[in-house]
Formats: sequence, structure tokens, C-alpha cells
Amino acid sequence: MAKRATSTMKQASISEFFEKNKHFLGYDSVQRSIITAVKEAIDNSLDACEEHRILPTISIELRKIPNKNDRIMMIAQDNGPGIPAKSIEKVFGSLLFGSRFHTIRQTRGQQGIGITGVVMYSQLTTGKTTHVISKIAKDATALKMDIGLDTKKNAAIVSNRERTHDFVDYNGIPVDHGLRIEAPMKAKFQRGKKSVGQYLRMTAIVNPHATIRFHAYNEDNELIDSFVSERVTDQLPRPVREIKPHPHGIEIGSLNRLLRDSTERNMGGFLRHTFSGIPMRAMKEILERCYIDKKESPQNVTPEESQLILTSFNEVRLMPPPTDCLSPIEDLLIKKGLEKGVDSAFVSTLTRPPNVASGNPFQIEVGMIYGNADVSADGPIEVLRFANRVPLMYQQGGCLLTKGIESVSWKGYGLDQPGGKGLPKGAATILVHLASTNVQFTSEAKEAVAENEVVMNEIRKALQEIGRNLKNHKKKSAQKAKTKEKFELVNEILPAIATKASNLLDRPEPDLGPIITNIMNAVFCEDEVIWDKEAKVHRCEIKIHNYTARPRKYEILAQYPEKEGVEIIENELGGKREVKGIWSWKLDTIPPNEAGMINFAIKGLAHNDWNNTEVFFRGSLDIIGASKIDEEILIEIQKEEERNMQFAAEQAMLIAEDAMESDQDKSGDLTELELENAMEGVLGDAFSEELPEEMIEKHDLDDSGTLDQTEIENAVLNSNDFRETTLDEWGDE
Amino acid sequence: MSEAKNREEVIQNLNDVVEEMHNKMLKGKPPTMTLPVRSKTNIEFNQRLGVYKYGKKETIRDATSLGSARQLLRALHVIEFIEEMIDSEKSSTLREMYYISEGWGLGKFGTQNESNNLAEDLEIVTKCMREDFKLRPEEDGARMIGNVTIEERNRRGEWMRINCRDDVGDSGYGLPYNVEPEKIRLIDEDIDYIMAIETGGMFDRLVENGFDEDSRCALIHLKGQPARSTRRMIKRMSEAWNKPVMVFADCDPWSFRIFASIAYGAIKTAHISEYLATTGAEYLGITADDIGAYDLPSDDLTPKDIEALKAELSDPRFSTGVWQNQINQMLKEGKKAEQQSLAKYGLDYVTDEYLPEKLSEFGLGG
Repeated sequence: MAKRATSTMKQASISEFFEKNKHFLGYDSVQRSIITAVKEAIDNSLDACEEHRILPTISIELRKIPNKNDRIMMIAQDNGPGIPAKSIEKVFGSLLFGSRFHTIRQTRGQQGIGITGVVMYSQLTTGKTTHVISKIAKDATALKMDIGLDTKKNAAIVSNRERTHDFVDYNGIPVDHGLRIEAPMKAKFQRGKKSVGQYLRMTAIVNPHATIRFHAYNEDNELIDSFVSERVTDQLPRPVREIKPHPHGIEIGSLNRLLRDSTERNMGGFLRHTFSGIPMRAMKEILERCYIDKKESPQNVTPEESQLILTSFNEVRLMPPPTDCLSPIEDLLIKKGLEKGVDSAFVSTLTRPPNVASGNPFQIEVGMIYGNADVSADGPIEVLRFANRVPLMYQQGGCLLTKGIESVSWKGYGLDQPGGKGLPKGAATILVHLASTNVQFTSEAKEAVAENEVVMNEIRKALQEIGRNLKNHKKKSAQKAKTKEKFELVNEILPAIATKASNLLDRPEPDLGPIITNIMNAVFCEDEVIWDKEAKVHRCEIKIHNYTARPRKYEILAQYPEKEGVEIIENELGGKREVKGIWSWKLDTIPPNEAGMINFAIKGLAHNDWNNTEVFFRGSLDIIGASKIDEEILIEIQKEEERNMQFAAEQAMLIAEDAMESDQDKSGDLTELELENAMEGVLGDAFSEELPEEMIEKHDLDDSGTLDQTEIENAVLNSNDFRETTLDEWGDE
Repeated sequence: MSEAKNREEVIQNLNDVVEEMHNKMLKGKPPTMTLPVRSKTNIEFNQRLGVYKYGKKETIRDATSLGSARQLLRALHVIEFIEEMIDSEKSSTLREMYYISEGWGLGKFGTQNESNNLAEDLEIVTKCMREDFKLRPEEDGARMIGNVTIEERNRRGEWMRINCRDDVGDSGYGLPYNVEPEKIRLIDEDIDYIMAIETGGMFDRLVENGFDEDSRCALIHLKGQPARSTRRMIKRMSEAWNKPVMVFADCDPWSFRIFASIAYGAIKTAHISEYLATTGAEYLGITADDIGAYDLPSDDLTPKDIEALKAELSDPRFSTGVWQNQINQMLKEGKKAEQQSLAKYGLDYVTDEYLPEKLSEFGLGG
């Protein structure tokens, strides 16, 4: 059946295929088609820039074509690498079906059919060609041409091909490298929730490294909509690396295909080299369970045997797939993206640690804007959904990301939720981003993420934490307002009353001290984080005012953005790190009507990366403006940290053990050759780019020229460290 | 409370307020100001005076919240301001004081309503009148037409004799804000009663129809909720000349309150009810019965009206059977009517038919 479908498709012309499937290709209505076309152009540009480590600047222009109904000229221009002359026809002229079949990687291009679809749609609806200008840095001139499609041969037809000097950017400056596409098409421009403007706004949030410009013009060449979003970071997304499929995510069809197409000579090699997460020991166990000889050729495995293999995948202890193949946006950058252009009271973002669902690594990121003036306070909140940095605009209700939001009990966090379920109400925006090597959608249209319990749980956890932040924020704002009032009362109004009353009666002024403790009768916390432009550090000051009649003693804890490259400095009071992200200090006893102070600075963050801290305390009397530390949560965080470290150590040990299986001569040391063999297995999952000789050079602590088990273990443990991505010099292809 | 106090007394009473604050602070406590509760839950009928006065419930305004502390500071500024005015023999309007407070820094007023209320607070705690404080309202009193003769001391200090029928135009004699004996003397009259009228339209109708002469009465236009001086003038004339007072108003909850402020005393000024309330005043109409009896054009009660009527049911001033019946009947029928709805039967109907009929129930107008 499947076979017949394939052959039918080959016979059908490519345009027929397009026509039949335009609903899931995104070209089913004039309103949606323009969004799809813009999306394909933008995805193309972002992917190309990312691959070539270029900070993208992308301009999108929509121009209504005069005297025609529903005709728009889409113009997309980027500062990407451009396309070399010989590749242009290939890029624009053929629909690529499943070209990335065997590799698993987090890419934008999981949706749609790419830029060729734009050329196709343009031609089918207007009969016109698409105009392309491309320049690569190496060439002195740009190449321009008109591209059409031969729909029978699935190939490009090029006309008017010539070199040009006139390729400039929006400032009129000659372009060094970049690509410009001008495609006329049947389309209709609109504003609102499902519009090009919204799509680009969302794209800008999840691509904080991109500058995106958008301008739409009517028939009379008047600007009717525009949007310019400057990049907020110069840091490009971490380069994603391809990983091998994990056995837990494989289906029988794919397994059979992998077996059939394998170039491995025997089943041992097949299992270890085709998949991630199968150590030597597991490989042997699988084959034993299936009564398959290690030396058997993959092509000789029967369907019955492959079914057995699939079953044993779930019975044998495997290692999880590596998760450093994901490219999260990271909470600080999402925050910057969300804050941009929105005047709001509160923005909170969170990136969860990577997790695995059915053998697929994934990672959840969430964000919230509360008090968003652009969202009506009476209606439901605004939901922004993303899969691998691609905005999802349709089928909101049926999407797992939406259901994740709906599953949280928002009332407890201070958001209105009629009936206690469903989308909360209010002037808020909630963002959910799913990054994964394999996003499962509900349908071919790829607009809604399919149900998955593990992913759902991660979304819930992330949103609950954001919810707690919101609740804290609300409580803190209320307390701050109250504190401000009280301070004004005792520091300004009361002294004025005392002076005035004394003057009127011609009597001496009373001592205010006892009156102040009488009025306040509480301990207050004031905290502030400021950016020191000169020193390029964040300074945090925490002040504890004792307005009670008795001396008070406290231990103060404060949250700070602990991560790789961030350091606490100028911390005179010392103190200690409690858990990740929490520092604590013991304050000297504070006498009545006096204040205790904590000052420290944080090095290694950019301006706006850190705006406020959360203050906690240990002590008997409550502090207004700070929360009593929940020791249980502290212990929980500590435990999780320990668990994570232990897990990493265990994994490292297992990987090292597995690597030692490659120790042919049983010398207890791996030579370069033995290491190469080991890296084809699970050791290779942990080390992506490195070559055996590099590995030895870096991790050979005893300088023996070989690596022993301990050295490998350490190497694996250290490999998870933060890897700085830099702007590489890029050349031509 | 007595008639105008001498300046030493006023200053002493004001200083008592300051002293309460200062003494509290000397004891290490937040400064306070003690006031009677100013709501309908704290007005009681005073048998001796025959009016409603504040009861014994007190509220202590202390400086433990920012709002109250600001009030105390403002009170001190106002006291200082009053003492300065007394010293320099000047006076100012409440509005002027509000603007002057701009220079009081932390003690300045947010709205004029705040400054008016504070002036009233000080009247209450010092048992002085705002005239003692040299503060006057900017709103003027009402208009009056009728055969009464008074003398008003003009701004040159001369006493002017005015007959409120013969010496005035159609708009009548305008009452000044101060109607105390040092400003107004009651000289002579030839009337049987005083009629207080809620709306200007009806006042003008009665004037045009010559009702004051035909019915031998003084007509006073209340201008809605009557100002202090209007109520004080009605009280003085009624007492000095022993004349009954008839209140002719719309039939709605707000009209009832206007009547209550004339006959029993207003909640806001309950501290001086015995100066402002005319105990024998009668509600002439329009009553709830009149709407049906005269088949008057009516409007439905609004939710606000209903709320106001319900509040009146628990107001001690409306606790008598007559008022309870009147209010309950209105709530039941859900209707209200304006004085001018009588025009349904022609312009002269009110003076030829309605008022004579109603007045005869009180033995007047015959």
C-alpha cells in the first residue's frame, strides 16, 4: 500500500502534489499564504546565517500590486552568506522531500517545503517568475536572475541571468553578501493575531540575535504596517549538532529501513554505531536476547528478529541520548525579547534543563509578561507558541503547549481563571517554546504539538515556577508600596507633625525614636540592583531596617543569577553559597531604629541581565519585603543538585567503562586507535567534534600519551561545561 | 456652643487639638486627633434641642497610617493658618485656603473636598463655627421673595434696610453666606408662613403667579441641598417670628434628605443642628400618595434611588411611621415624580389647586 502511494506520487506532477497538499503546506488561503511565504523566506535566512555564524539582518517588504485583486509582491532580503552561482537553481528549483532522513537535529525546517514552495506558489497563482539576487563575499558582483519551475521535471528554469553591481541594503549601502527574493503571489494582507506582523514579532522574540525589519505598503505606495526589531544580543544560537537516533524513539518501519540501508558489516557495529545510548554491554545483551549473532549482517535480519530487537530496546538498560544537541534560546535572551517594545510590570522567563521523551531529547522554555498593555484585561491571555524557534500560529486549542498552560491552576498564582481551568484571563502573555530533535505534531500541517506526558509535565513544572515568580512579584510589589508609605510616614510626615505641633505650642520637640518603633513595629527589607556602567558590574544593596523596640538578629539569603562565568565580587560580609543561585550572610544584631546592610556586586552579566533580587531570611520575626526561607525547598534544591552530579558521575563512569571495552590489548590504557573505536559508541555521543588525538592532548593528565579509565571519566564529566560560541570567520562554500 | 466666641477662646480650643498630638508624642505614642463618628450610625435625637446630634461614638485618627498622618499634619497647618487670620483680622474662603495649602509642602491638600472636610472636623472638635475660624464657603445662600423686611450690614459697614418683596427684582433677595445677627437683622414681616422650594423652576413659577402675595408667605429657593446659611435663615425667621415652615420638593429620595436637613439636622453638620434645623418644618409635597392622587407623570426609580431609599429606612431621622410608610410605598410602586410634573394640568394648577389643597391640611393658605 505504502509502496503504491510512493509510485503514484512520482507519476503525478509536482504541481499537482502541491495543489493537493496545499492545506498542510500552508497555502490554503490568501491570508495564510502570505504568512507561509514570509515564514519560508525568514527560516531560510535564519538557518543560513546560523550555519555561517552571521548575525542576521532581515528585511521583509510586502507591496500590494496595483490594479489586481489579492496580489502582493513579497520582497525578502537578508545579509546571509548568499548562494554560490552553481547552487542557486538547486536551492530554488527542487522540492526537497525528507532529505534529512537519517540525521536527527533540531532545525527550523521541520515544517513546510522551503523556499521552493514560494517559487511554486508564485508561479501557480500569478504565472510569473521569482526574481532572485544573490551575492557571496568572494565574488565582486551579485548575480541576478528570474526563476521559474518546470513542474514535470521538478527543476528550475532560469532566465535573464546576469551580473550586477547594484545590490544594496535598506540603507543604500552595497551588499557584501546576502540574498534578495522578489516573488509576486496571490495573497491578502491583514493585521491581528494571525498576520505577517504577528509572525515576525514572534520570530523576533525567539531569535533575539536577529534584526528584523518589516514594511507593508498599499496600492498607492503608502506605508500601512511596519515593525522593526533590533537584535538584543550578539550571541548566535549554539551550533546544533546532529545526533544518532535513540532506540527508545524508533519505530519498526524506521528500524527495518535502517537495517536495510545500513553499511555496517555486522549487527554489533550496527547497534553501536547507528544509535546513541547503546553501550557495548547493552549491545551484547540485546543480541543475546534476540538470539542474533554479533557477526550477522544487518541486511539478513528478518522482520521477526527486528521486532524482537525493538522489544529488547525497552528491556535492556540503555543510556539516555545526549542533550547538548539542543539549542535553547535561554531565559535571559527570551526575557530581552519579551521586554522589547512592551511596557509591562513584570517579565519572567525560564529554561528547564533538557529532558528525554521516547528517545527524543527536548527542552522547554517559558516566559510571561504580566501587565501587558497590548492585551485586553477582560479576555483570555495571549499565548505565544514556538517549536524549535518557529512560531505556531494556528490550531492553538489543540496544541500540547496550550494544554500545558491550561493544566496549571493559575488562580493560586494570582491570575484569573474562570471555572478554575482553561486559559487564564488578563493582560498577560505566556510564551512556551519546545526545542527538540523531533517535535511530534498532531497533523501534517505542523501547527499543533501532539500530546506527550513527559513534555506536558515539563511545561507544567516550568509554568508553575513562573507562576510562583508572579505571585512573589505581586506580593513583593504590594509590600514595597506599603514599605514606601511607612517610610514616608516616619521619615517625612511624622517629623513635620512634631515640628509644627511644637512650634504652635512653643514647646520642645519630642523624641521621635519611640514613636517610630510604635508606629512601624516591624522589620523592613529594602533591596536594589543597579548596573554600574563604569565598572560593568551589577551592584546589589540589601538593607534591613529594625523598627521594633528590641534588637534583632537575622541570616539573610539573596537570589543571584549563578551560572558559568558569573561571579560574586566586592562581598565584604562574606557569607556562603547555600545552593545554586542562593547566597547567605549572617548579619550582626541590629539595634532598634537601626539598619543592617549587605552589599555585593555581580561580575560577568550584561546590562539588563539582572534587574532585581529575591531576599529571604532566617530569624524569628517576619521581615516586610522578604520571605522566610523554606528550608525544605532549599534541601530539595540541594538534593537535586547532588542527584544531578551523581547522575553525571554515574554516566561518566558507565561511558568510561564502555570505552574500556575497546582496550584491545587490555593494557588499561586507550591508544589513539583504540580511542577512535570507542568514540564510535556512546563515548562519541558525549564528545561531538573532538578527534581522538585532540582528546588525548586535552585530557591526558599523566602525560602517558594514552587515556586510562579515570582520565576518560574526567573528560566526560568536563565535557558538559558551558561551551562558548563565537563568531567564526566564515569563508565561501 | 455659644454664639460667636471670642478670639482667645477660639485659639485656646485650637491649641487643645495641637496639645492632644504633642502630649501623645511626649509619651512615645503616635499623635492622635479624637473626633465623633460622622455617619448615620452616630446621630441621636436630642430631646432637649429637638434635633438630631452626634452621639457618643468617637473615632481616633492616629498617625499609624500615611493617610491619617497626612490629615494630622494638614490639621496643624490649617490651625496655624486660622490663628494667623485671627491675628491679622482677615478671612478667607475655603477655596482660597485650598489654594494656599499648595505652599504647605507635605501638608497640602489633594482636593478641595479634603480641605472642606478638615475645616468641618476642626469645627466639631473645637466646638467652634467656621465663622469663628474666619473661613467662609464660596457658595452663596438661596433667594427669597416675600413681604419680610430685614437689615443687612453691607461691606461699608452700613445697615441697609431691604423689603424682600418691594426692594428686589424677580430673582429675589440673595442671602449672604453669613446670616448671623452681626450681619442680618430681622425687622418686620407680614406673612403667615415660610415656604422652602427645592427647584428654581418651581420657585420662578410661584413668583410669576404671585403666590407669595396671594398666600401670604415668604418663598425661599433651596437650590437643591440647602447651604448652611439658607437653613440658618429659615431657622432664624421661623423662631423669631413664630412662623411655620413648609417644604415643597420633588418626590424622590434626595428630596427627603433635603427636608430632613431642614427639619431634623444634616448628618454632616450634626454638631450644629440646633443652629440650622427648624424643628417644626413640615413636608408639604410632593408625597408618594400625590403621584397616584393627582395622576402625575412619573419616572421609574433608578438602582441608585432604590439604594438611597433603603439607606433611609435605617436612618434614625426617618424612623417615624409616616416616613417609613412613605419610603416603603415608594419602593413598592417604584415611581418618583418632579414638582414640575404638576404642569400637566396647566401653569396655574400648582397655585390654584394643588398648593391650596395641600396647605389646607395644615390650616394654612386659607
